[in-house]
Amino acid sequence: MFAKRSSKFAVLATASVAVAALTLGALPAQAFNPRSEAGVTATTIKLGITTPLTGSAAPGYSKVPAAMQAYFNYVNDNGGVYGRKIQLTVKDDGYIPTTAVANAKSMSNGVLAYVANLGTANNNAIAKSPVVGLAANRIPSIFINTGYSGFADRTKFPTMYPIFPSYIMEAKIMGQYIKENFAGKKLGLIYQDDDFGSDALAGFKTAGVKFDVAIPYASGSQSAAAGAGWVGKLKAAGAEVVVMFGVTSATGAALGASAVLGYKAQWILGSVGGDATTLKALGVPAAVLTGSIGASFLPGTTDTKDEYIKQFQDVNAKYNAGASFDNNVLVAMNSAMLTVEALRAAGKNLTRDSLMAAIEKKGATFASAAFSPILYSPTSHVGYSGYWFGKYDPSGAMLPDGGTYSLYTTDSGAGAVVKATIKRPAMPAKGLPNNS
Amino acid sequence: MLKSKPIRFLLLILVAGVLFLLGNVLPDYRVYEGATASIYVIAIASIILLTGYSGQISLGHGALMAIGGYAAVLSRKYWHTSGVISLIIAVLAAALFGVILGYAAARLRGPYLAGTTLALAVGLPSLANQFHFLGGEQGLNFDIGAPPKFLGSNFSTTKWYFWICSIAALIIFWLVQNLLHSRYGRQWKAMRSAPVSAALAGINIARSKVLAFIISSGVAGLAGALLVMTLNLVTPSEFPLSLSFAIVTGAVLAGIARLPGAVVGALIIVAIPDLADQIATKIGGAERISANLPGFITSLLLILTILFAPNGAKIGKLVSHGSTRT
Repeated sequence: MFAKRSSKFAVLATASVAVAALTLGALPAQAFNPRSEAGVTATTIKLGITTPLTGSAAPGYSKVPAAMQAYFNYVNDNGGVYGRKIQLTVKDDGYIPTTAVANAKSMSNGVLAYVANLGTANNNAIAKSPVVGLAANRIPSIFINTGYSGFADRTKFPTMYPIFPSYIMEAKIMGQYIKENFAGKKLGLIYQDDDFGSDALAGFKTAGVKFDVAIPYASGSQSAAAGAGWVGKLKAAGAEVVVMFGVTSATGAALGASAVLGYKAQWILGSVGGDATTLKALGVPAAVLTGSIGASFLPGTTDTKDEYIKQFQDVNAKYNAGASFDNNVLVAMNSAMLTVEALRAAGKNLTRDSLMAAIEKKGATFASAAFSPILYSPTSHVGYSGYWFGKYDPSGAMLPDGGTYSLYTTDSGAGAVVKATIKRPAMPAKGLPNNS
Repeated sequence: MLKSKPIRFLLLILVAGVLFLLGNVLPDYRVYEGATASIYVIAIASIILLTGYSGQISLGHGALMAIGGYAAVLSRKYWHTSGVISLIIAVLAAALFGVILGYAAARLRGPYLAGTTLALAVGLPSLANQFHFLGGEQGLNFDIGAPPKFLGSNFSTTKWYFWICSIAALIIFWLVQNLLHSRYGRQWKAMRSAPVSAALAGINIARSKVLAFIISSGVAGLAGALLVMTLNLVTPSEFPLSLSFAIVTGAVLAGIARLPGAVVGALIIVAIPDLADQIATKIGGAERISANLPGFITSLLLILTILFAPNGAKIGKLVSHGSTRT
């Protein structure tokens, strides 16, 4: 019996090894490029993105890769970048850091750079993972989809280039707006209980805004039931103005619950969770959203008088398989345009280092739809720095207060919030970058 | 038994040799996947021990992995323990939690136990957001250091992690294998198949259940610590509910009552996203397809397994030994 057991164990061990070898061998060979530069050939430029396409954070954000690819396809059809076509490798991480790191690792030798990776925790995990070696291998991670202020620290994250104004900036600017418009009102705040939220708390503190009730929620815990709990607390505290500083699914849960429970307050939605199309898809009634205040650094998605919006809508209609044009699509196409400008600025001899050098030297001059200036320089990895405020109309469009865009800018430190003049570079002809 | 032990040991050495060779010839990313698969082998082994042998259901082993992960990180951060000691502390901390959980589990059965452990998986990791010393959502760093110098300057961190994880998996495999063939393993099988008869035969059912939970928790804790090691970071979002489900799925796919199935289950879980990517690329699908394909393939495999091979897929049967009756 024991001998039989041993022989079976022998079969087991051999078969296990065989399965391991076969499975690993049968899997596709890594797109390993032994050349000095990964992701670049004479005819192609490969970029990679890891982002949630499934899971709790997916609503809205899952539209980002397709919108970026749509813009890249538009550029590719018009000659590409110095003749090279851009290919975007897309990986779903479900908003889970472990998966994001595995995705980044799988792409690390095959792409020139990561572009628009989403989420504070995921970007942090990728940056700190020794198996990815973001800094050690000089892999650029450009125009990341998070406003966590820490990523602009060039010493800690030398190859990361955030583009959004930081959450500290957003909270400071929002604080100034609240002081100007809602002085003396009872204030409420819902925020994500992580670095996203701690940045917000720091910004509001610097702005000198104190909330009568502040409700943290753990990332991933947002649900209709949780939303009802938040609204119950807001109601009990008598909050008249509520800032929702969370992801879209959490914003949807809060607004949905306020509709069900008949809670009326002036909502102010942070830029991260304020996409009207996604909120409506999550079941938020238009009546609740109408009149809510939102913040953005880009023009309103329905502002067809704006040349960038008009061009991006056109690209979206032709290249994005009928996707509705919302803020996620706009942000994605704007980042895609910046990417093309960065690739062009890096020149024909494209390398990871030349790409990063180009962003640092010329990034401040890149044309983009944002009203805010870009602050990249050899000593700064800070992207945009400003917001404007508007109100949602019954169609879900966000229109500027008073009909004209009024921009506030600031920094992530103790600097003042100032009303700034909008000086935006003109859009390159047909939305096709021609910089060098 | 005495005759078979040296042979098993030699076979493990042989497997270690093959893994060593694989680590040298495969591309870096495949080696990283190998480390992940090894972690899954350990986690799935903990489920097989608990569910397949002692008959207790747990849908919350992701939470036990989180305990192991945080214990390893905290011990290194505050007590400056070495990598090995941190891993041992992870095992002990999770096992200690297993004592508490085991006593609760001994009073619960079937869906009630599944529900309790499920709640644990949902709630426990997010506790880290409530206590500052646990680092919140951004987590805490966990760096066990660079590979030893004698391995050479070209020895990558990925390979170093692969070595640690695969050696840990082999050791756990060896220990659990021997445990399942010991008096305790036989008691668990008896308890699972016929609890009344087992009790009449003198087996202390409650004590056996608690013991199974303690050992299973300790093993899961090790898997959690290794997962944290490969990321250099511990955060609550590394231990989502889907992780707990993935481990149970892996165990069911290759035969819940067969320890060797852990290897097959782990490889399937690690390979599915790649497989889905290939299929999506071939059929020219958008990312919407490739994103949902892994879940679809896993669900399909799970349904097919339960319909046609409830004791595990054929490969599991081929390589299994001992009783597989459930």
